[in-house]
Amino acid sequence: MMVKINEDIIKAGLEVLNSHKDSKLITHLNSCVHCGLCAKTCLYYLTSNDKRFIPARKVELVSAIYRRYFTFIGKTMPGLTNARKLDDDIIAEMIDLLYGACVMCGRCVKHCSIGVDIEYVVRKGREMLAKMGYVPESLQSTVKAALETGNNMAISYEDFTDTIEWMEEELQDDCDDPDARIPLNEHGKNVLYTLNPREPKFFPLSISAMAKIFYAAKESWTLSTYMYDVTNYAYFSSHPAEAKTIAQRIYDETDKLKAKRLVLAECGHGVRANRWEAPNYIEKEFPFDVITSVEIIAEYIKEGRIKPNKEIITEKTTLHDPCNLVRNAGVIDDQRYILKNCVKDFVEMVPYGTDNFCCGGGGGQLTMSEYNDRRLSIAEIKAEQIRKTGASIVVSPCHNCIDQLSQINVTYKLNVKIKTLAEIVADTLLVENMLNNNK
Amino acid sequence: MEWYFWVAITSLGICFAGYIYHFLKLINLGSPKDYSKKSGSTKSGIIYSFTHAMNPVNKESAFLNLPTYISGVIYHLGTFLAIILFFVLFFTTNINELISLLLAAFLLLSTLCGAGMLIKRITDKKLRHLSNPDDYISNILVTLFHLGSGTVLFIPDVYPVYMVIASLLLLYIPLGKLKHVIYFFAARYHIGYFYGWRSVWPTAKSK
Repeated sequence: MMVKINEDIIKAGLEVLNSHKDSKLITHLNSCVHCGLCAKTCLYYLTSNDKRFIPARKVELVSAIYRRYFTFIGKTMPGLTNARKLDDDIIAEMIDLLYGACVMCGRCVKHCSIGVDIEYVVRKGREMLAKMGYVPESLQSTVKAALETGNNMAISYEDFTDTIEWMEEELQDDCDDPDARIPLNEHGKNVLYTLNPREPKFFPLSISAMAKIFYAAKESWTLSTYMYDVTNYAYFSSHPAEAKTIAQRIYDETDKLKAKRLVLAECGHGVRANRWEAPNYIEKEFPFDVITSVEIIAEYIKEGRIKPNKEIITEKTTLHDPCNLVRNAGVIDDQRYILKNCVKDFVEMVPYGTDNFCCGGGGGQLTMSEYNDRRLSIAEIKAEQIRKTGASIVVSPCHNCIDQLSQINVTYKLNVKIKTLAEIVADTLLVENMLNNNK
Repeated sequence: MEWYFWVAITSLGICFAGYIYHFLKLINLGSPKDYSKKSGSTKSGIIYSFTHAMNPVNKESAFLNLPTYISGVIYHLGTFLAIILFFVLFFTTNINELISLLLAAFLLLSTLCGAGMLIKRITDKKLRHLSNPDDYISNILVTLFHLGSGTVLFIPDVYPVYMVIASLLLLYIPLGKLKHVIYFFAARYHIGYFYGWRSVWPTAKSK
């Protein structure tokens, strides 16, 4: 049940549009010319032909409010520019379109004829809603779990450590080395590795896969049992204070363990939230390096620290680019380099890289069950992209995408295997090579 | 000096003041302060934003909507031309006949493009849904300005009407969507800065 709007709520929402750290917000709120050419870049519009889903329409929701309260023409002649009051109607529309019909992939941004950062405006709109208390309950409960328990799946300390012990045994079997370890809470290591809580909860083998890579590379690394969650769903709800709390924890843990590098697990938004947004949430430059697992694996291969055998995986393999890793974080070539070194038959989707389509699970959509039908319907484009490659393995360096791709696989009867990058790399590392390497 | 000159000069002054207001607001607020460790070059990103990224081959909004895109380019070129002509006509109406003919032909073409875009905005459900009165007014004023600029070259009698249209346009520019004259550059700057900082732009192909 939506809370009825009142003056305090309006004030909280408008405050977002009235606080400027720089010229970015007023620029993007004043730039859209309503040409509508962004329509065909958006999954939601392409799969529904619904005019409400045009990206410019989402920008318009926020900028119409801005004009009404902060521009001369909007205050004096609101009808001229369709400047709108912040009321229950527009809030309901904002919730539906900004939370429920945007994966925040930024594809429209790249192709906008003007250069409007549509995704940024959507985020500002979400921030308004968050500050007014209108985050969809499903998304907010994920944020709440992270805030209250330290991870978004509320996994207990005991469950987590049990899973890690189990995965350590897997690692020892896999590497044929009883001394192979998954180190916990160790100080002064080169790498503090993070996890997406989906891993300990549903896909623990991806933990042992990455551990196998670290083992093969003879990396000095550790996991933290206190703060291992790479995700920050407050980035999606766009509540800055909550996002800051989560970001601060991972910063503090890295600082406490004196790790030289914080390595982010395969999670698109986790990379974006921690590598690019976290320093801005806490307004501090990080004294340690923040890199992605994709980059570190590529580094190992380039330096000869791991030697994948590309004769093992012979099936046609394609790659799904997570939007927040590629278009919004600039990690574009490393995953391709890795796959070309690990599989025999690699094929790109069309389009790919910074032009790739979102899987449909971005923007927090996977947590917002009320929009499940929409989420699976926009995935039609990704399903078609995969089908056209003829690949039988789809790799994605993002657990969120993996989850959505797995659902697409069933819904659209693709009959493909969905893998993380670490799983692919681990499968190509031969035990005898690793043993020689670790002697 | 005729009254319409004074009207035009006054409007130009108001328009200029409006520009300065928006420009100073942008300058005053400044560039983003980013605490994350830069992995690319903001300078290269900004240059890319104004060059390669504007190439229609790299823009779905352009190559998937080619007729609209081409109309838009002609329309904007016509606007720049009409603005230059506006200043020239302040000082002389004595323009070589061949040049006048070429200018008028191009301005007629850009007028048709403007009218075409207006018709599209009215008839296309998707665009109509996005539009507000400002969109229509802006289009009509600019298109009339193109038409007036082309006409005045051959029919000097329309000069007062032309100057009134130009004055209305100048007064309107800082208020409605036409202020994208400034914000377009700011938007491309910001997007170039953002992608440049994160090493998304320039893309590998263009490096």
